[in-house]
Amino acid sequence: PALAKENNCLNAAKACNLNDTCKKYRSAYISPCTSRVSTAEVCNKRKCHKALRQFFDKVPPKHSYGMLFCSCPLGDQLACSERRRQTIVPACSYEDKEKPNCLTLQASCKTNYICRSRLADFFTNCQPEPRSLSGCLKENYADCLLSYSGLIGTVMTSNYLRSSKISVSPFCDCSSSGNSKEECDRFTEFFTDNACLRNAILAFGNGTDVSVWQPMPPV
Amino acid sequence: DRVKGQGRGCLLKEIHLNVTDLGLGYRTKEELIFRYCSGPCFDAETNYDKILNNLTHNKKLDKETPSRTCCRPVAFDDDVSFLDDSLEYHTLKKHSARKCACV
Repeated sequence: PALAKENNCLNAAKACNLNDTCKKYRSAYISPCTSRVSTAEVCNKRKCHKALRQFFDKVPPKHSYGMLFCSCPLGDQLACSERRRQTIVPACSYEDKEKPNCLTLQASCKTNYICRSRLADFFTNCQPEPRSLSGCLKENYADCLLSYSGLIGTVMTSNYLRSSKISVSPFCDCSSSGNSKEECDRFTEFFTDNACLRNAILAFGNGTDVSVWQPMPPV
Repeated sequence: DRVKGQGRGCLLKEIHLNVTDLGLGYRTKEELIFRYCSGPCFDAETNYDKILNNLTHNKKLDKETPSRTCCRPVAFDDDVSFLDDSLEYHTLKKHSARKCACV
């Protein structure tokens, strides 16, 4: 077990900058995600999303997940959890002027080939199952984490909420859902209150699910 | 291109540092690998460098001391980014060497 003083998210950032591949692709997304392009736009969101997708495509999970799924002690809100929230540069990749309705956002995701397939993967691989020990229907945390990280760089880009327990959400809510309120709530809860996804993130952060970052033996 | 057998002493070296060690004024706990060029370049010197050496020695150039062959980066490493203590990102360009030569 990690010492309370250890900042796992900082340690992951250090490890990334000492690895040539991780360092290269990290600065390759931080640059576009932090460069102002005009007085109206804080960044070029399209370029930021593309570079984020590249980061998760090219960098080995040991490093990319190390930063995205690092574990933070409950008491530590600033140094660790805020750093984890900043991993995807949310000011550019996540936040927007207006918060859309989640079903509207889902509909816009479905018009894009990449987003549609990655969202489908996420719903398949992170499906919760209360009766299983892992909390997942498909008892494979690695597939769930891969599907979740695959959403980063699409319109369904999700991030950690400022909450005492691990909870993530895309940038949307269920206000003005009309008749579809229940459907919208079900959709958001798959992100915010999903035991399978939460267990997968915790297992990676605690280093208890070794298969996630060690290559699988050939079948 | 460097002529074979010349400038062999000029090498790429690296050191593991804290970003704060760079002295650029950033406040962060992040780290990086800094690569630099170091070593002698005597064997890569040209007639130009020999002439400069002689002219300086014979005091024919007044107070001028033109630079002779130096071990310098001819290519730079990839950019490096880090998050500072106020949760702001910074990206350094051309901060670290990738390839060295006597120039």
